[in-house]
Amino acid sequence: MRNTYLWFVQLVTGVLIAVLLSIHMVLMHLDAILGFFGINVNDPTSWHSMIQRSNQAIWASLYIALLVVVLYHALNGLRNIILELTPSVRTERIVTWAIIVFGIIVFVWSSYVPIALLYA
Amino acid sequence: MEKHETELITFKVQRYDPEKDNEPHFREFTVPSSRGMTVLDGLIYIKENLDGSLAFRTSCRMAICGSCGMLINNYPHLACHTQIEEFRSNTLTIKPLPNLPIIKDLVVDLIPFFDTHKAIKPYILRHDAEEMENPTTEFAQSPQALETLLQFTYCVKCGICISACPTSASDKLFVGPQALAQCYRYCADTRDEGEQERFPIVDTDHGVWHCHLAGACSEACPKGLDPALAIQLLKRRVVSRAIRLGRKQQPSSKVPPPTQTKPKVPFPEFTVKGAK
Repeated sequence: MRNTYLWFVQLVTGVLIAVLLSIHMVLMHLDAILGFFGINVNDPTSWHSMIQRSNQAIWASLYIALLVVVLYHALNGLRNIILELTPSVRTERIVTWAIIVFGIIVFVWSSYVPIALLYA
Repeated sequence: MEKHETELITFKVQRYDPEKDNEPHFREFTVPSSRGMTVLDGLIYIKENLDGSLAFRTSCRMAICGSCGMLINNYPHLACHTQIEEFRSNTLTIKPLPNLPIIKDLVVDLIPFFDTHKAIKPYILRHDAEEMENPTTEFAQSPQALETLLQFTYCVKCGICISACPTSASDKLFVGPQALAQCYRYCADTRDEGEQERFPIVDTDHGVWHCHLAGACSEACPKGLDPALAIQLLKRRVVSRAIRLGRKQQPSSKVPPPTQTKPKVPFPEFTVKGAK
């Protein structure tokens, strides 16, 4: 049953990545087209506008959500690939825990700055 | 009458005798091939005329028994279902099926493969064991309901899907496309109630979730089945049961048995006296 949920969440995060990453890509790379439609995003790749976005709760939460779904999707996929090559229950447990710990470290490391900026 | 030309074809056959050889090696045989001749015919020619010690499995010669699966020019085929002409080459390389242990020459050990097949309980399971053993009624199954699983019933258990599957090659514990497709075949049967018994076997790290949808099994299947589709449908079924979404399968309706039936044919006498 656990594997069913792991796979189902993999599907759900795949859909979420398609939505959240589209928002990110459109904002970052299609600013000229957005400007044509009257939406001014003010040079989205500059340091200043990045800090400004991080100060807004909606953008910060969108980016943290993108981080969570990408981390889950990528690390669960990586776990599946590694488990294919480890035919023993013990190594499976080690791989699973190593990946959970790695995911938590990467999450804390990457979400620390936007969270700190939000409360700054 | 059309005259059939005979062509000389070189069969490069992988030989391996565990009692004599340390590792597999190739031996070449020259086989006169005529139009319509299958690879199996060529192997039988070798065994009858050139080298009687060549070991390969065969039985029906018409793609029904699934015995003669082997790797011909690096692609798994049923030798009886593959004509020599198809390859348009004067040399054929013949190896045993990969991903399975070799017993001798082209004979591979299918016992682990059949064990996995047995493990998924490939038969109709009902909650009511008494009714299952001594049925009082019959099941009515609509042609539409049969159509959802009919193609998967044609599996001949030749092991070709396993040998084509890249996941089976790297993951020795992988349940494999054959057993997963058969699991779907029985779960999708309207007469069956055995999902709860089968799902724990396939819902594991090395079960249905490890299929990467390479599709090699469907590409290679000599009977034209689509095991990759069955695995995807099985995934959908397992998830929809876990999150309690999706349509419930309508159980097949029961109909009274025919009023007049022929008496059962008596069990034949043993021809060998004293045998039980």
